[in-house]
Amino acid sequence: MITDILVKIANAALLLLAVVVLNFCLIHAAPGDPAQVIAGEMGGASQEVLDQIRRLYDLDKPMLHQLAIYIGKVLQGDFGHSFYFNESVTKLILQRLPATVILVLAALSLAVLAGTFLGVLSARKPNGLLNHFVTFFSLAGYAAPVFWTGLMLILLFASAIPLFPISGMADVARPKQGAAYILDVLHHLVLPALTLAIVYMAQYSRLSRTSMIDALRADYIRTARAKGLSERTVVFKHALRNALIPVVTMVGLQFGHLFAGAVLVETVFGWPGLGRLVFESILRRDYPTLLGVLFFSALLVMLANIATDIAYRLVDPRIRLRR
Amino acid sequence: MSAILDIKNLTVTLQQSPGVVPVLENLSFSVKAGKTIALVGESGCGKSMTALAIMGLLPDGFQIAGGSIALEGQDVAKLPGDALRQLRGNRMSMIFQEPMTALNPVYTVGDQISEALRLHQGLSRQTARERAIAMLRAVQIPAPERRIDAYPHQLSGGMRQRVMIAMALACRPRLLIADEPTTALDVTVQAQIFDLLREMQQDIGTAIVLITHDLSAVADITDEVAVLYAGRCIEQGPTATILNQPQHPYTRGLIASVPHLRLGLAAAQPSEALEEIPGMVPGLGKRGPLCGFAPRCRYSAGPCLEAPPPTTGTGSHQVACWHPQGEAA
Amino acid sequence: MNTAPPVPPALTPANETVAIVRISPLRETFRLFVQNPTGMIGACLFGMILLLTLFGPTLYEIDPFDIAGAPFTSPDAEYWFGTDYLGRDILAGILVGGRATLTVGAVAAIITLAIGIAMGSLSGFFGGMLDTTLMKITEFFQVLPTLLFAMVLVTLFGASLQTITLAIGVVSWTGVARLTRAEFLRIRELDYVKAATAAGAGSSYTILRVILPNALPPIIVAAAFAIGISILFEGGMSFLGLGDPNVMSWGMMIGQNRNYALDAWWVVVMPGAAIFLAVLSISLIGDGINDALNPRLRKR
Repeated sequence: MITDILVKIANAALLLLAVVVLNFCLIHAAPGDPAQVIAGEMGGASQEVLDQIRRLYDLDKPMLHQLAIYIGKVLQGDFGHSFYFNESVTKLILQRLPATVILVLAALSLAVLAGTFLGVLSARKPNGLLNHFVTFFSLAGYAAPVFWTGLMLILLFASAIPLFPISGMADVARPKQGAAYILDVLHHLVLPALTLAIVYMAQYSRLSRTSMIDALRADYIRTARAKGLSERTVVFKHALRNALIPVVTMVGLQFGHLFAGAVLVETVFGWPGLGRLVFESILRRDYPTLLGVLFFSALLVMLANIATDIAYRLVDPRIRLRR
Repeated sequence: MSAILDIKNLTVTLQQSPGVVPVLENLSFSVKAGKTIALVGESGCGKSMTALAIMGLLPDGFQIAGGSIALEGQDVAKLPGDALRQLRGNRMSMIFQEPMTALNPVYTVGDQISEALRLHQGLSRQTARERAIAMLRAVQIPAPERRIDAYPHQLSGGMRQRVMIAMALACRPRLLIADEPTTALDVTVQAQIFDLLREMQQDIGTAIVLITHDLSAVADITDEVAVLYAGRCIEQGPTATILNQPQHPYTRGLIASVPHLRLGLAAAQPSEALEEIPGMVPGLGKRGPLCGFAPRCRYSAGPCLEAPPPTTGTGSHQVACWHPQGEAA
Repeated sequence: MNTAPPVPPALTPANETVAIVRISPLRETFRLFVQNPTGMIGACLFGMILLLTLFGPTLYEIDPFDIAGAPFTSPDAEYWFGTDYLGRDILAGILVGGRATLTVGAVAAIITLAIGIAMGSLSGFFGGMLDTTLMKITEFFQVLPTLLFAMVLVTLFGASLQTITLAIGVVSWTGVARLTRAEFLRIRELDYVKAATAAGAGSSYTILRVILPNALPPIIVAAAFAIGISILFEGGMSFLGLGDPNVMSWGMMIGQNRNYALDAWWVVVMPGAAIFLAVLSISLIGDGINDALNPRLRKR
């Protein structure tokens, strides 16, 4: 198992290197002078800045040489300088990263927990009302654009049910420390996380319902009942763990989508994470920041993949003990 | 010695949209401690339904409409779900046909054996584990200390069925129902499993209800045979009698369709021509009060098509037929 | 296809068998689909949306970029869906914007399918080194968060309908590729494929005429969902201001008006509902096809 995971990590490192190469190619493939691209703000950079960039990235040398320089810089954690924010891209991203990670993890946990719970409940009674609800909910959740769902929640919670703040990550008037601050952030987190979670909740509830129905029909469930186990143990111990296997797979496959959804949700709710940064850098054509975020998001997806791979092995011994 | 399991006039029905359809009708049989009865018949005859009715595990829509199922004098047919659950896996247990799928793939065999022990006997995790190892040893699994942490996919089919047996017998049940326990296994493994069942039976004194369509298995290890056809018991008696002097044409057909059957302890009979019973078991809802086998029976005539067959017989050997045949064909 | 080798005359009988295998599953699927309520509701809804976007703008002759009335006029007899922050007619925007949104969705889905099927079929059919290489590429694209990657592409290469469509297609094909590959791996082992190979059919003939038609049903389901996702992506990018500024689209309407949502709910509710219904109808169709392909599942 350990070797398997080491292989995965090595593979991930190679893929990340490929992302760096992709970024490099994008800079050069984009229309216009690469120096202008790196400077961002098309046409707005001074000659002095452009010269400085040409020197830094050896833009007059052959491509391969430039690539080597670029990779070297990335390996040192240097993704360039955002001239709009006047800050190093790495620093900028690291500042924004925690907010996004909190949002994505909250949404993911909510989606998996609530989705599986709904799916399990509706699997118990395949013709019940809840089952129809899950079917409808999963279709609706899939079809509603995430930014629109967010706006609808804002409309709902702004005046009708003013329970949760509709913008930002914390109350600006309060000190940024202590338990009160954490509670405040959690309070602000509710709506963005719910928005982001709805789509996936819908999908997981549907998937877990199907796999739960399959699991409940399996022979080993009859065996478990023949042992005299309570219905709760039969469902939540014997069936659920088997039913979770496809859900875990799905979580891993969708992490990238979830992350991309976060860009939209952060924009809607003014959540100060990477997504918000992406929005701002799109507006300013701030390419180094954009490409830096692309790299970091690929890194996050990769970490999530490794995590789901481990989770998958923990849930399913057939994969874990293959060799 | 009183019977462990005593079933009287058991009737099971299926609720369908046009009405209620009988699945089992007036089934009666009993098993004493340490004895084995075989329920024999083609698929669709109600063998597995009988087993599930005893265990209280009938699928949705099926229900016990009449009769009693006495387990050591207690009528389990009338017990509420919780009380029944406490009996399952404890005083009565069951093993299934498919060892490949009957074990949960995501838990170790140790977990699955210990589960019943901890539930019914309140053992600690550690004690249950030790008992599970002892059970694995008892079912002759080599290196049980290691195998206890194995997952089902790491074991062969025969091994898995041994695990199933260990699981079913862990709480030393009074009654064991074995539903075609060897059908999915290789022939050589089948014999081992039957030997094992018999040894375990002698050890624990369990009564066994063995469900099978394989009469050759019956010959070796059972004391009594009940032949089911279309939800009714059509012939019942001591194994040797049934095999040597089958009276119902269906029983005789079943025996004739098994090659080289060893008849109990008697010498091997001269080989007979293999016979096939034409036709199929009538489906649910297509069973009238008359003999269900009549449409397929070569002797059916006169009363067979007019009135239900009477149950006749001497002592323990009973047969429900208008034209019981005295000798094996 | 020009690349398909001419089939020797001796092969004709085998070809006919192949043809039978090819036609029947699709026709049967269609028959079951028509009987499926979910699918038919979706098809009707989608048909209506299509008709409205095709003929709506001719019947409702108001330029969506024109200032038609006072800003934030609430929905009434004159402005059915109200006006936005500039006083533009929202109904006109939805009717015209549907054209861009649906076109981008459809074309992007075609690109998605073309790349996905090409990668998946080559990889599944030939296996070996080619499979390893193509799957590495697929894996690479899967690591990049789709929408984010598309946004980067559009930002770099300029926001126009063409780049948006291309960008969506380029980032979303990995699922189709994996699905196609799995189908190819499965079908490759079936007897009629072996028969065709034994009868001397070349690779491209086997891929295009023997395996692909039989792999199509699940790919068609994936295609329906690809259209839905492309529409959502287009909406998301236009919402962030990455749309073509000269072309009205549903996402752009929401994006431009979102700051006024609290003052005038209709400015975001209406165009969002349009996206929602369009994607919903297509996924209902996808569901219907899926049910038609797996009739056994319907009994659950």
